[in-house]
Amino acid sequence: MASKKLRRAGLAQELCERLSRHQINTCHDFLCVSFLELMKVTGQSYQNVQKLLCKVSRACAPKMQTAYDLKMKRAVNPFSAFLSTTLDSLDKALHGGVACGSLTEVTGPPGCGKTQFCIMMCVLATLPTSLGGLDGAVIYIDTESAFSAERLVQIAEHRLPNYFVTEEKLVSMTRSIHLYRELTCESVLKRIESLEEEIISKRVKLVIIDSVASVVRKEFDTKLQGNLTERSNFLAREASLLKYLAEEFSIPVSFLFVCLFVFPPPIFESLTYGRGASGSTGPAPLSWGQCRWGPEQDDRSVGSSWQGLFGPRPAPPVSLLVQPSPAPWTPASLRPALGPPVLALGHWSQDIGTLVPRW
Amino acid sequence: MQRDLGSLPLAPALRARLVGAGFSTAQELLEVGPCELSKEIGISKEEALETLQVIRQECDSNAVRTGGDPTALRKCTALELLEQEQAQGFVITFCSALDDMLGGGVQLTKITEICGAPGVGKTQLCMQLAVDVQIPECFGGLAGEAVYIDTEGSFMVERVVDIATACVQHCQLIAEAQQEEDHHKALETFSLEGILSHMYYFRCHDYTELLAQIYLLPDFLSEHSKVRLVAVDGIAFPFRHDFEDLSLRTRLLNGLAQQLISIANDHKLAVILTNQMTTRIGQSQSTLVPALGESWGHAATIRLILHWDNNQRLATLYKSPSQKESTVPYCVTPHGFRDVQPPPPSQTPEGSEMNPRKRPRIEEDKQ
Repeated sequence: MASKKLRRAGLAQELCERLSRHQINTCHDFLCVSFLELMKVTGQSYQNVQKLLCKVSRACAPKMQTAYDLKMKRAVNPFSAFLSTTLDSLDKALHGGVACGSLTEVTGPPGCGKTQFCIMMCVLATLPTSLGGLDGAVIYIDTESAFSAERLVQIAEHRLPNYFVTEEKLVSMTRSIHLYRELTCESVLKRIESLEEEIISKRVKLVIIDSVASVVRKEFDTKLQGNLTERSNFLAREASLLKYLAEEFSIPVSFLFVCLFVFPPPIFESLTYGRGASGSTGPAPLSWGQCRWGPEQDDRSVGSSWQGLFGPRPAPPVSLLVQPSPAPWTPASLRPALGPPVLALGHWSQDIGTLVPRW
Repeated sequence: MQRDLGSLPLAPALRARLVGAGFSTAQELLEVGPCELSKEIGISKEEALETLQVIRQECDSNAVRTGGDPTALRKCTALELLEQEQAQGFVITFCSALDDMLGGGVQLTKITEICGAPGVGKTQLCMQLAVDVQIPECFGGLAGEAVYIDTEGSFMVERVVDIATACVQHCQLIAEAQQEEDHHKALETFSLEGILSHMYYFRCHDYTELLAQIYLLPDFLSEHSKVRLVAVDGIAFPFRHDFEDLSLRTRLLNGLAQQLISIANDHKLAVILTNQMTTRIGQSQSTLVPALGESWGHAATIRLILHWDNNQRLATLYKSPSQKESTVPYCVTPHGFRDVQPPPPSQTPEGSEMNPRKRPRIEEDKQ
């Protein structure tokens, strides 16, 4: 609402013209100008400028809700607050599943099953609500060409053999998963910007980006000064756009939740604390040395056998770690004594709600 | 009434005209009528009347101000301040070590900034405080209400329900143990629904909305006079991207801080801000520091940094005018912010003296 034109905020025509001569056209411009300057530009007295400010603020300030209202909104449709991952222990750690209306990040070293997890979530989201799904379409933005439709069908058949009995069901499931291959930062951002309309027209309930990191890492050389700021601007813009979409569509009718998958995060180095690094599977440390804040806030690890989940595929048991999200809590006893792998993209995770790294 | 025209809140053009016509003090202006004034400086009668009203109002309020009562908030002796501070109480955090470090809890009329890496518990602490501020007075709380301004979208109502339920349960335990009349009376209104409906939530999507919201906050607070806590979670997110003009950012942030300080003083409430961390790249070593730059560090009166040491969450008091710097451990349990339990669980849950700041330790933490 920041770009709301001043005229729509209820300011007089004459005043708007006067302001636009000073490049003040929107509420955003108006609120960024200092008080004294406003007095000068509008030629009004202190009290009047104060009134104007009040008027403009009212036009773009958010509406008040009490926490009770929020709870009641959720209570209307309790199943829609979370999408169950169908893994009991993980669901418990996440307060019921992946939260609708917020962003969830999944990270882990290569080959541990991030994409598998995404594909499984795709299947789950398309299920009817009676089976714990969201009964909606999925948008899958694939930046690594890692998505495999064959695998999708395989997972669907093995996870839910009773539901996907007919060809028809499989077809309708696969039809509702919309895949976009975007290979550059620009196209990813463009795609995200255009999501709003598609979410409405296709009744999308789940958006997956797999992965955020790969394109960004390819295009921004962190050694160059200035690139870093540009990169974090790009990421923050993505995050705030996605957050906006997630929230906008999670209220009350349609539910969307966004999964963000940051690909290869593993810089397994011992950090300042000198603790032993646990994994040696990661690729060579990337030039991301300045971001050593080591999120050892591993809140909870959930062991689960992924074999049963993803169908027949020889996979070692993978443990899953739920990092701080506003919802779940931390039982210290459950925290594993693992080395601190550093997530890629530096402080990006500060801009996100839930984080689910896995290895 | 020898006030200079320059100090009156008049439009610049108007002031120039008045000076041009030879007026220099407010007194001189008050001697003329609106019609005369309009002829003298060539403005309409309505405008002239408005001008005179502004001046009269200004002079009246000035007289009151020197008389002193309503604005005693802004001007007082240290003794009065001491009495006020002692009377006003704190917002407790339910973690007694943290409370002690802060001198009893989060102070009213002050700005407290909470910094920390993602997931260390900043939002948890905000939600906890938004619940705790509503604890009835007879349980040692403030019986207030809370405003929660969310810029990151990380407010989880399910989590608030957890924390609030635990808080209500805790008060019920105290009431059972002490059997006092007013406790039961207070508990009748202190319920989960009550807590949730006195938590006013605003979701600001960008900094324009945040600026607008903070600007409107004084009006909202006048309507809801029981609000004792304003939590802004977080101040950094909207200001950390898409900001090419850093001086504009500094100005807006300082403006925000000023407004929050005056809100905190005028309405006698605590302001909580959360801030993100950023990496400062040094010559040999890089360190993690609170975001938004050095100058923002002056904005908050009290700065609390939450961080990790291995698997232990720690809170460090980094800046405070009254308490000494120290570090204490805390943990986040299903019930919210709590003390770290000492390793041997040899405590007696039914202590004879129940400290309202401490939860009785029951098995619930080990679910």
